Amino acid sequence: MALINLAAREINYKIVYYGCGLCGKTTNIQYIHRRVNPATRGRLVSISTEEERTLYFDFLPLSLGTVKGLRTRFHLYTVPGQSFYNASRKLVLQGADGVVFVADSQISRLDENVDSYLNMWDNLLAEGEDPNRLGLVIQMNKRDLSSVFSVTDLTDLLNHTDSPVIEACALTGMGVFETLKTTCKQVIAKSVQP
Amino acid sequence: MARRKGLVINDEQMRQVDGVLAKLQRVSGSRFVALVTTSGQPITTSPPDVRSDTLSLAALAASSFAATRELAEVLNEREFTLLFHEGRESNLHVMQVTDQILLVITFGRETQVGRVRLFTSRVVEVLKPLFEAAESIHGDAAVIDFDYSREAGAAIDGLFPEHTEG
Repeated sequence: MALINLAAREINYKIVYYGCGLCGKTTNIQYIHRRVNPATRGRLVSISTEEERTLYFDFLPLSLGTVKGLRTRFHLYTVPGQSFYNASRKLVLQGADGVVFVADSQISRLDENVDSYLNMWDNLLAEGEDPNRLGLVIQMNKRDLSSVFSVTDLTDLLNHTDSPVIEACALTGMGVFETLKTTCKQVIAKSVQP
Repeated sequence: MARRKGLVINDEQMRQVDGVLAKLQRVSGSRFVALVTTSGQPITTSPPDVRSDTLSLAALAASSFAATRELAEVLNEREFTLLFHEGRESNLHVMQVTDQILLVITFGRETQVGRVRLFTSRVVEVLKPLFEAAESIHGDAAVIDFDYSREAGAAIDGLFPEHTEG
């Protein structure tokens, strides 16, 4: 659950973009950083290798403004996708309120997608996360390419929780904000106290 | 890995915490003290009107500390409970308070490392019970209700643009 600071009238939610290497997690965050109102975002922090591959994470804070007297923020993170960075992925996942699983729709990336999806669940369950309290959205990225799986096939493979599925092309921005909106709303809905 | 609980901090707890941090900043001669969560979210700072980018600071300090803890495991060390970065003009000291809370402190040449470490260790012992109490309280989270969810939904729709590039 989120950090709720009643004294400062603040709520912070953490959303993590997960997926295999080169699936477009950083591209999502960079697009959001470029297109969102600058007054509502903080600095984009990226810890990358010299080849601009994510080494640890990207971080972008977004402010939703004041809702019912509570300043509400979303902290967006990406994980490093390459398989050998699992220790870093676990650390970034800690305390997440929501996860966007970014799938690379290309047929050639099937194995990497499945491995990453299973790895995400391994790491979430290892942390003792209750999947019912976590906002989860599946983004089917790179829909502009020609050699891609159908959304139905990818959904069968990568969505056993029946989470919302959004088609995207992070390079042009198609579906990027729809993914973020859906995730933010899910995260808030899951945090509502009945 | 322990399950991450939510953290709700009420006015009274924050008042006590802010008092402790202000005193720590004064007696240790440090420039800036912050409390952040281990998942990278800022809680409070002393002084409260600090100019640093506290959001980035919290995310980076928490990640750095988490990586240090993993390093301890690789080295078969039970835990590294503090992290210290020495710079030319300023130094950064990060120490664990509870499973969910870290204390971040920056100081320059106007004070000594030993002095900062001494007072920081003492303060951690004072802060620990305050946050252990906060971690066990969940009732105040009721501020997140259906009205909040509905209003936040409308704000989210207004925040993000619809159009795409290219």
